[in-house]
Amino acid sequence: MFKYLNPRRFYHAVGKKNFWEFIVLAAFLLFFYGPLLNMFMLAFADIYESPAVIPQEWGLKWWDFVLQQKSLRSSIVQSYMVAIITTICSMVLCIPAAYSIARFKFPGRKLFMLSFLLTNAFPKLGIYTSIAILFYRYNLMGSLPGVVIIHMINSMMFMVWLPASAFRSVHRQQEEAARDVGAGPIRTFFKVTLPMATPGIAVATLYTFLGSMEEAQGTMLVGLARIKTMPVEMYGIILDYPGQAGAVFSILLLIPSIVLIFAMRKYIGPEAIAGGFKMK
Amino acid sequence: MIKKSKKMLAAYGMVLPAFLVVMAVVAWPILEAVKQSFTHPDTGTFTLENYKFFFTTPNEIRNLLYTLYVVLVTVFLAIVIAYLLAMYLRFVKSPISRAIGNLYLVPRFVPGLVAVYAMITIIRDSGLINRISQLFGADVELGMMYHASGMITMNLWFNIPFAALMITAGLGAIPDSVIEGARDVGANRWKVFTSMVLPLSIKDVVIAGTFVFMSNVGSFTTPYLMGGNSPKMLGISLFDQFNKYQRYERAAALSVIIFLICSVSAGVYIYTNLKEKEWEK
Repeated sequence: MFKYLNPRRFYHAVGKKNFWEFIVLAAFLLFFYGPLLNMFMLAFADIYESPAVIPQEWGLKWWDFVLQQKSLRSSIVQSYMVAIITTICSMVLCIPAAYSIARFKFPGRKLFMLSFLLTNAFPKLGIYTSIAILFYRYNLMGSLPGVVIIHMINSMMFMVWLPASAFRSVHRQQEEAARDVGAGPIRTFFKVTLPMATPGIAVATLYTFLGSMEEAQGTMLVGLARIKTMPVEMYGIILDYPGQAGAVFSILLLIPSIVLIFAMRKYIGPEAIAGGFKMK
Repeated sequence: MIKKSKKMLAAYGMVLPAFLVVMAVVAWPILEAVKQSFTHPDTGTFTLENYKFFFTTPNEIRNLLYTLYVVLVTVFLAIVIAYLLAMYLRFVKSPISRAIGNLYLVPRFVPGLVAVYAMITIIRDSGLINRISQLFGADVELGMMYHASGMITMNLWFNIPFAALMITAGLGAIPDSVIEGARDVGANRWKVFTSMVLPLSIKDVVIAGTFVFMSNVGSFTTPYLMGGNSPKMLGISLFDQFNKYQRYERAAALSVIIFLICSVSAGVYIYTNLKEKEWEK
């Protein structure tokens, strides 16, 4: 086994093509997963002082520390509440719009889609700050609806563009066939169109939910410390607390992503996601 | 005729709620910001002072150039590496390429803050790389924290998977038969690449490049946790104008400047999208 640690032996053992593929894989894993794995290790390190590579003492000390923070539990509850409300609101608003864009040709359609590009081109902080001024006027600062609005801004583009491209890929003939055998337009939509567009909608929903779970900047600005989601707490922890508290909190933040990616893994693919960035 | 207008009504009815929300929470605030950027902070009259500040103060000019440098390097490296990765995923069929094909999508869903924290534990001067180097008797201090190279590394972590995903989707749409056909009539690999693969995927490259560019010009999390104080990225400069100096008019002006920079790439994006329309008809 150890003889393969010699690169030259390894090269001859697996052949030229495999050798380079292993190099690609190793570089890929080190760069993209190395940091995350290191963080997992740190979360379970009670003592981790330079120059040790492996922690001197393992344990759950930092988990105790983080879980005892009083503000933490409320931030978890608030994070999920905001994320769920945001996801539902933007689904209700955006999916009909996406369907309309995909199926009807009406004047102003392009302009409407372009308006979502605006949310990506204008710096978020610029939008947040002037929204804050409007929010003060309408008493939305530090309120749940205010934070939900901020979170929706981030996700509306995906929530329209992605389902739109999913609806467009459903062939009209299939809908027509359903209509021919006597299904009404609403039944056709729910029995034919919607199930076929589900992957695109699922990915958009996933994006919206996770995007809301990780939004920090706008929440900090508009939440006024009354609405404190997990990432807002995380900023404080990274900057104020020493040691491994940040690693523990990072894992807490990662849990929803991991669970949802696993649950929706069959929908997540390059084609499904790429549709969210194309204006057609 | 009645049926058609009924259809129109349905179309607008479904779009209207989302449209109104975008107008109210995006377009309106942006217009307010634009108006504010031309307002004098004391007298409330029309002025260009807020813009002049960013183009005449040496520090601010440095911030602007620094941001462009970081973003352009990010876009270039991300696109080149992502293209190679996408080519590998598309044309090499092996267990390893399938494994990478499953794994490279995950970073898209990792919260930005978590990824930045994880990367910091690796590259900071007392981080993992330094510790491993000490095992071998060296003392490698990367000096990547509070430096452009650290931010670019982080940006690549975020953007290579995204760009690779866009390009993979584009390459996936090229049928094998097209490539086999070209090979059959005697085109070599390079010829196939330059005359078939690249032209057919260039649109996705532009889309990926646009979004990488736009998301990095005004980025906040990465430079906030990894960037230095001087020069600083525009996103931090904007945050400081708002938070530290409370110069709201200047913050608004800087927002507009960032928007204009992004508009250049958004323009390229729209142009490629519209151009495609013509031959698709």
